Parts: sequence; C-alpha cells; structure tokens
Amino acid sequence: MKIHIVKRDTCPFWKKCCYYAGAVLLALLLGAALLASMGVDPIAYYTRMFTMGTVGNKIAYKVWINYLKELVPLALTSVALSLAFKMKFWNIGGEGQFILGAIGAAFVAVKAGPILPGWLTLTLMCVAAMVVAGLYGLFVAALKVRFGTNETLMTLMLNYVALYVLIFLGEDKGAWNFFLDPDSLRPVFASFSDIISFPSIPMGDKFSLNICVVLTVLIGVLVYVYLKHTKHGYEIAVVGDSAGSAKYAGMKVNTIVLRTVFLSAALIGLAAAFKVGTAGILSTAITDDVGWTGIIVAWLSQLNTAVIFVVSALICVLHYGSTVAAATFSQVDSSFANMLQGVILFLVLAADFYTRFRVVIVKKGGKDNG
Amino acid sequence: MKKLIALLMAMALVLGLAACGGNGGPAVDGKADFKVGAIYINSKNDTAGYTFAHHNGITTAMKELGLDTDKQLVIVDEVPEDDEQVLSAIDTLVGEGCDIIFGISFGYINAMEKAAGEYPDVIFSHGTGYKSNETNFNNYFGRAYQARYLAGIAAGMKTLETGNNNVGYVAAYGTEYAETASGINGFALGVQAVNPDAKITVKKLGTWADEVNESAFAVELIESYGCGVISQHCDSAQPQIAAENAGVFGCGYNSDMTPDAPKAHLTAAIWNWNVYYRTAMQAAMDCGEASKFVETMGSGAYYGGLKEGFVDVSPLSENCAEGTQAVIDTVKAMMVNGEWDVFSGVKLQIGADGSVNKVDAPLVDNAGNEIVAAGGASVEDSVITGTMNYYVAGVQEG
Repeated sequence: MKIHIVKRDTCPFWKKCCYYAGAVLLALLLGAALLASMGVDPIAYYTRMFTMGTVGNKIAYKVWINYLKELVPLALTSVALSLAFKMKFWNIGGEGQFILGAIGAAFVAVKAGPILPGWLTLTLMCVAAMVVAGLYGLFVAALKVRFGTNETLMTLMLNYVALYVLIFLGEDKGAWNFFLDPDSLRPVFASFSDIISFPSIPMGDKFSLNICVVLTVLIGVLVYVYLKHTKHGYEIAVVGDSAGSAKYAGMKVNTIVLRTVFLSAALIGLAAAFKVGTAGILSTAITDDVGWTGIIVAWLSQLNTAVIFVVSALICVLHYGSTVAAATFSQVDSSFANMLQGVILFLVLAADFYTRFRVVIVKKGGKDNG
Repeated sequence: MKKLIALLMAMALVLGLAACGGNGGPAVDGKADFKVGAIYINSKNDTAGYTFAHHNGITTAMKELGLDTDKQLVIVDEVPEDDEQVLSAIDTLVGEGCDIIFGISFGYINAMEKAAGEYPDVIFSHGTGYKSNETNFNNYFGRAYQARYLAGIAAGMKTLETGNNNVGYVAAYGTEYAETASGINGFALGVQAVNPDAKITVKKLGTWADEVNESAFAVELIESYGCGVISQHCDSAQPQIAAENAGVFGCGYNSDMTPDAPKAHLTAAIWNWNVYYRTAMQAAMDCGEASKFVETMGSGAYYGGLKEGFVDVSPLSENCAEGTQAVIDTVKAMMVNGEWDVFSGVKLQIGADGSVNKVDAPLVDNAGNEIVAAGGASVEDSVITGTMNYYVAGVQEG
C-alpha cells in the first residue's frame, strides 16, 4: 500500500469552509478537553474568549479600542508581506522591518514633534518609517538580485540585528540617547504621547475610532487594486509564477523584485509608524509578534488582500480573547492561551493543506496513478 | 448543540451590548464585592522566582483576609514592560470591576501612573517603582538590605569558621541599579561586621534572570576567585546548587533555598510580600473610596523592612557556624526597634564570642570617598532606593 498526495484541481468554496470550520471545531474540542482536565468549564471559558470579556464589562468600549490597536499593525503587516510572498520572495523579516520603522518614526516624533505642526510630524513619521524599513528590505533584495543570496535566511537573521539595536537604545544610558526618559533613574523609553499622537474620530458616547484604522483599510483597498488591476501587479504575479518566463517576456525581473520588496518592507514600516504614533512610546515588545503572526495570516488568506482583513480580525479576537479569558480563570495562564491559539492555527493550516491536496491510497500492485 | 446555540446567542447579544458600555468605575464597598487585580511579568502558574513570590504573597494575603482567590482575584500575566500592553491589561482588570490593581514589574511605572489619572475610582499600587500621587496611586518596596545584612552575618561567621576570607556574589546588576547595589552593600557590611578582612567579589549577569550564567558565574567565583561563600541577587537557585557541587557554602535570595542546596545553603534574604499585600488590601477595603487610599496608607511609598516582617532571613540551616542564630537575633532586634540601621556612621562589631558592639566609623565607598561621617545618621531612604551607585569598601567587581 502506498500513500500518494495529489494536488486538487479545484476545491469548492463551501468545501473549503467546511474544512476550516472543522479544524477550528476540532481545536476547540481539544482545548475543551484540556480545560476540563484542569477543572475549568470549557463553555464558560470559550464564551469569555469569543466575547473578549465584553459581557458585563463597564468599559466595553475600551475592549474595542484595544482590539483595533492590535488589529491595525497585524492587518497592515500581513497585507505588506503578501506583496512579497506573491512574488515568492520569502520575507521573514517583518519583525526587523517593523522595529526599524518604529525607531525611525520615534526619531522623528522626538526630534520634530516639538517644533513642527502635528499633521506634518505625523506625515514625516510615516515617511521616515517607510524609508528606513523599506531600505532594510531593499538591502536584502539587492543581495539576492546581485549575489543570489537566500532571502529567507537574510531577513530572518536581520530580525535579530534590529531587535538588538532596539534593546541597545532601551538600555544605553549615554547622554546622546534621546530615546530614554531623562527623569527616570532606571533606563526606560521616554513617552512622547503628550507631543504627538494619531487623532481619533469620536463616535458615540465613549468610543472613538483611531484614524489609523481608516488609513489601514484605505491602504488595503489600494494594495488590492495595485495587485489586481495594474501592470505592476501583473508583473509581480508573473515573477512569482516563473521568473524565467517573466524574463523571456521582456520584464525587468531585478527591478520588479527590488521595487516590490521595498514596497513590502515600507508598508511594514508604515504599520510600525501607526503603532508608535498611537502608543506614543517605543518598547522592546513593540512588534507584538506581528512580523511572525503576519506570515500566518498572509498564508491562511492565500495572499488575498480582502481575506487578510477577515483573517487578521479573527486572529485578533483569538489573541485578545485568550488573554481576557485567562485573566479570570485562576488555573489558566497566558501560556495556555497561547497554546490554544497554536493548536487552532496548526489545525487550520492542516485543513488548508487539505483544500489544496488530497491523500490517495494506492493498493499494492495497483496502477501508479501519480 | 444547545450549548453551542447558547454560546452563539451570547456572542450576538454582546456585540449588541458592547456598543453601549455604561459609565462609572467600580466603587470600593463591601468585602464580598471587593476585587483584586494583578499584572504579572511571568506566568501566574510559575513555581519559583519573582512572579511566583508575588502571586504567593497576594493569594496568602487574600486568604488571611478571608477573600476568595478564585472569584475575587483577576490576573493578566506575562505582560511585557510595554505601555500599550500594560494599559490594555489595566483596561481588562478595570472592566472586570477590580478595586485595586497591583503591578509587580518596574517597567509598568508610566502606564500605571497614566491609568491612575484615567480611573480615579480604582486604586493602583506599583511594586519596585517610585511614582505615586496623593489619592489612588502608591508604590511599594522593602528594605531588603536589612535582611541582606543578617545573611551577611551568617556568611561572615562561616568565613571565620572555614578561614577563607573570599566571598562571592552573583548579581543581576551592580552599581547600575540602587536595588542591586544596596543589596550587595548591605550584605558586605554584614560580612565585615564579623570578619573585617573579608573581600566580596561581585560578578554581574546584566539581566535579572539567566540560569546558565547564574551557575557559570558561581563556578567562576569559586574556582578562579577562591570564594568559600556564594551570595546572589538573581532569580534561580543555580548559584546555591553550584556552591553545593563545589563543596562550599552560600546565601540565597527570594525564597528559602535550603531544599535546593541542603549541604551548602546557610540562609536566604527573603521577602514576605503578603505583609504588604495584606496591608494594602485592608486599607483599600477600609478607605471607603479610592481617592482616600494613599491617605489611609499614610504615604505614597510603602517601604517596609524587618520591623514590619516584610523582609526577613529564612530559618538558618545546620550548615551555619555555631552561635549564628544568637547574633542574628540580637542584630535583628536592633533594627526592628529602630536602634540602629545599616547605612549609617555607626558600625557593628561582632566578636568571636557573639558579642555585638556599636562603634562610630565612617561609611566609605570602595574608591575611598566618605559617604557618611563617623557617628553620622543613616542615609536617606531615597538614596537606598534610587541613587546608591557605589560599592562600599571591601567590594570589587570580578
């Protein structure tokens, strides 16, 4: 008996949905078994998780504000990563590009914030973050184009370079280090939220919608159009399918790679600017792992820009809800919440595999149909 | 299936309700409604280390006060020192109706200050920090140096017994932080009170917890510097285990480490966090409204020591030199009744017979600068918590 894995020609939409739903359900059942073994009522736990603790919450509007604060960087980073992935350029450097973008934005906020008008500072923060992060990505793309280096390894390693630069800025008490709070005895990052932050649009009694949410959706639409309806988008798709064919068709493959990777990294930098400009402070945990989670989101969405927004919204519910649910159950800590998230994502990825491939069992002596 | 439908309906209901969140924060009222919130840097299910010590303190205090740790305690754990994430955790705890919120890590300082302004009806209490206001925001820390001094006495008496004057100290940081410097200095002065010839060598980790280097640095202190007693300011019991393996002795930190190193451990400087947590929770329940909390506590900064039982030394092990207990009891009594304190112009001389005498002597740093003149009063608390950036004479970095 042999087992063959055969690529599916098509998979109907409803079937895909069934696979995904089945995976989530299976993960929840697994989690329920674990919860029950710890003496926690799974229904109560899941209710809290999926409602993100908004039931009976006196400040439920805060949940939505905090939820959107998590969603914006994740959605934008995922959209940005999908640009590079579409070209089969494996940009694993979201974390590093995000960090450098954040440092660039913070630099502008600290230096220009007190002098320039608010809107100009915010614009410059975005531009600085995009340029710094974009060049960081471009550096790897240039190495690949020129020397054929492996971009997966390069971007992965550079994440740690960026992280240690940020940690250095957070700990070095030298007089030059304007990122730190001069009044603190221990090194902590200085807050500039009094000087500059992205405005919010008041909606209703308490809730207000951060402008970054609107901008992120807008960028999502632009990227969708860029990929589907422009020459550049077409070129990206062709290079992704076959660089050789693209060359044969007269496309300047190197230029396309450099341009697209710059754009991908720059958008990640923009996500960082949104994050820093909303938080009003740097932090060594500034990325909140969006560079990693974004890869999963982009992949689960099959690089479809619209789907990315849906998937990142769901992942944020999972992430935010897990933290909230873990808070009220004394047996459950964040590590369990993280594990449950991991189980769900793993099974959904497995289901994703099933939507693309099917397993065929070939009986011994049977005709080889592979 | 029924439950699933119930779940879905609950979700739908919430989405509808969430948009119209109500006003007003929680008010401090009866004991049954009292809710405690906490933000931890590590997991609440830890079984050792810093977060464990605080979690243990909070749950012990709640049990002492007759509060239900299952229903009346809400914890967001594994929160990094990131203002946005701390503020989000605070929103979760306030949303749950917590009356008092404890944050245990130094880097929560600015987020807690901000939240105290935003939620005047909730009490915020920040461990190891230095910020406060006059109403609903205080900070708490303890005179660990007093316990360190007592542990130093035990170490000093051991050096006399073994005839080895070299003492090692594995520290997270050195003079960069007053917390570590005051601990090292307190310990060193305790050792020197017994054995004036003792030399203390400090090895710095550069981080608060690193089990591999905690062990490696202890081994280096023993092998390269010939240390016969190893003290520590780091999270795990690794330095004590290294001392045990090398056949030397040691003083632990945070919790009684005798079970980890039964043949090496003398005594540990320990924290009884429940002492503060009980005081704070009682004050929070008594003060009527959050804005009276700081007034009820008496000050915005709680700085308890041996007197309050907030810090102490763990029970002396059998490894201690003869007569150690009696000396420690005498010195502890002097600090408890306020007769004497560590960083002053008066030093204790502890004789081989166990006698304890006070002599006027200046407090001098290891560069020879006089910090306190002979007979002078103790340094200010703010120096011990904030600006102590020197080692006393007899301490060197290795």
